[in-house]
Amino acid sequence: MKHHRDQHFASIEDIQHGFEEAGYICSQQIATTLFLAYHLGKPILVEGPAGVGKTELAKTAATYLRIPLIRLQCYEGLDESKALYEWKYGKQLLYTQILKDKLNEFLEGAESLDASISRLHQYDDIFFSLHFLEPRPLLSALQREGGTVLLVDEVDKSDQEFEAFLLEILSDFQVSVPEIGTIRAISKPFVLLTSNNTREMSEALKRRCLHLFIPFPEPKLEREIIRVRVPDLSENLRGQLVSFIQQVRKLDLKKPPSISETIDWARVLVLLHASSLNPDLVRDTLNTFLKFEEDIEIVQEHLYDIAGKALREA
Amino acid sequence: MEQVLQNLIIALRASGVRISVSESMDAMYAARLVGYENRQTLKDSLSATLAKSHREKEIFEASFNRFFSLDGFSDPETDSYRAPALEPNEEDAPLTQMLLSGDNTGLSMSMREAAQRADISGIRFFTQKNLYIQRTLQGMGLEGLDRDIRRLSKEDGASSRQKGSALKEARDLLFENVRNFVEQQFSLFAGSATREIIEKYLRNIRLSNLEQQDYHQMRAIIQRMVKRLNDLHSRRRKTSKRGWLDLKKTLRENVAYQGILFDPRWKAKKIDRPDIVALCDVSRSVEAVARFMLLFLYSLNEALARIRSFIFCSNLVEVSHVFEEYQVEEALVRLQRGFGLGIKFGGTDYGQVFQDFKKTWLDLLSNKTTVLILGDARNNYGNPQTDILGLIRERSRRLIWLNPEPPAFWGTGDSEMRRYLPSCYFVKECSTVNHLERVVDLLLRTQA
Repeated sequence: MKHHRDQHFASIEDIQHGFEEAGYICSQQIATTLFLAYHLGKPILVEGPAGVGKTELAKTAATYLRIPLIRLQCYEGLDESKALYEWKYGKQLLYTQILKDKLNEFLEGAESLDASISRLHQYDDIFFSLHFLEPRPLLSALQREGGTVLLVDEVDKSDQEFEAFLLEILSDFQVSVPEIGTIRAISKPFVLLTSNNTREMSEALKRRCLHLFIPFPEPKLEREIIRVRVPDLSENLRGQLVSFIQQVRKLDLKKPPSISETIDWARVLVLLHASSLNPDLVRDTLNTFLKFEEDIEIVQEHLYDIAGKALREA
Repeated sequence: MEQVLQNLIIALRASGVRISVSESMDAMYAARLVGYENRQTLKDSLSATLAKSHREKEIFEASFNRFFSLDGFSDPETDSYRAPALEPNEEDAPLTQMLLSGDNTGLSMSMREAAQRADISGIRFFTQKNLYIQRTLQGMGLEGLDRDIRRLSKEDGASSRQKGSALKEARDLLFENVRNFVEQQFSLFAGSATREIIEKYLRNIRLSNLEQQDYHQMRAIIQRMVKRLNDLHSRRRKTSKRGWLDLKKTLRENVAYQGILFDPRWKAKKIDRPDIVALCDVSRSVEAVARFMLLFLYSLNEALARIRSFIFCSNLVEVSHVFEEYQVEEALVRLQRGFGLGIKFGGTDYGQVFQDFKKTWLDLLSNKTTVLILGDARNNYGNPQTDILGLIRERSRRLIWLNPEPPAFWGTGDSEMRRYLPSCYFVKECSTVNHLERVVDLLLRTQA
């Protein structure tokens, strides 16, 4: 299955180009990491501030490769029965009830307890077999033929125990089920893990992954992103908008605006048929990209300076 | 080229980036995959495989640039090396020949090789610089050059003299270049060694002797310590005792399966998150230490969810909100000056403090609470109110007293430490960061 996807990852430029067609502008750094991840067969741990397109990267990778995306959202308390597999208790129960009568028939003629037990031994562990296994996202990602993109989202929110059992999947692409044994991947999934850095990930996990840090983009890259995502915005306004956002990020804010918020704002400006960034318009729409009252106050103080500079620069 | 990559990894490790063997192998594969032609691509690839956090990326960035800045052999003033334009002789030493013919690349290569042979990656202390400069020069064949210079000075004739003085100039330049190179290597390989020594020193020095300039580094150390302790202890952990069947729970859970025991439940042991009430003395007698105690409390406050902080001098006030509202610098100033907190900076009165606590906050205590008191127990000969401390001890799980004075001073003068001793779960001298860490480790280890 690998070779017919090789063309997608033939070179770093191809990746950049392909992702752009799928609507995601990736920097050289991102493309290089994707390239390495594919050829070395390693997962990528993506870190960076919220809203710079970490999750989007995985989604686009799935679109680009034309394979399904399996997403596992992590949270505190997530355990293997929700992430990996669970036994179908109901089915097991139902089957024991149905087979109860069958069992009598089957054991007929057995003279002693020993004989019936040894007869039963011929059928070992019917109830703990693959038929009764309910695959959860991680296991189904391993079992899917043709490969998948597996996104383990916000892995920093999960517990340390969960992280520990991710290790087996990340390094060997296999899962050990105590009752059955090891289940190997039919085809290796392309794995991305994202983290917002609410806690430091363990060394062991980091060691198994390639690490990608996505920072807030450079002005040029951000203009490019806005161009692709909000094509209706005029070029002039796009320049002003990006310059404005870049300056706002330099202020000491509780939550600096991210790319997704820039895109939201660009869409709002398109809806309002704005032709240029005048301070009044900005003041009315500040809340689309600033999410704290304190932040809005800080930006309002500097509003005229920033807007003026943005107009000059564009 | 792989040797170069190895050296880069050594340099990165020396600057505090943790790189395992498997990661360095990944880096090797990655470099083979993308090739060495494009510098940016190589850098991105190595960054993805070697540096695994934002901080490490920054270190990587700096090290990579420094490491691969292939500056040739040059005059530091003009930034280029101009050969004296003299014909080298057959009998001249190789180094002399290179200097005379202006073979920049050759000189640069020879310098790197000589440094490699001198084991430059082993450099740790700035006192070793001269040694390495000497070794590198010798490795490049300084002896031959010196011999040539001596020979030329003995010879007659204008051309020999001119050549001799040109060689002397070139020799100075050579020294300059080797020194620069060794400096650069020193900063690559020895960065963290020096830092580690300073850090070790800071951890063991008495808090009261610390200088203002060390304060920033101290904050970093304390923060790291709190983070580590927090990682170790703060999460609610279930250690299940496999082997002990919880019969009641199993029956309850399996009612849904017609009483067939599908889903056995085991007895589990829960470890609670620590619950802390901290009281910190900020009077003049402990002024120097108080700053660090507060710094420590601040960091603890960031890390632990359930902590109530108080400061006291003549009376007791709660300051948990200050820690939450302000940045560390401002919070510390506010606490030490007592802006708007209602704290009275008279003589320290432990008796009054305990009474205040009993009156208002005694309900905070439960059988899960650990009470932490930071202070020197110097009560200015007032009523020590030992019975209230006893009450606090009874109401809480543990009472821990950290005293910045060494045990020999306890009970001397107006110190009431000896009288408080019986009510405490334990009392520890706490005057260095290392003390602090050990105590807090104990403190957070709440058993079931």
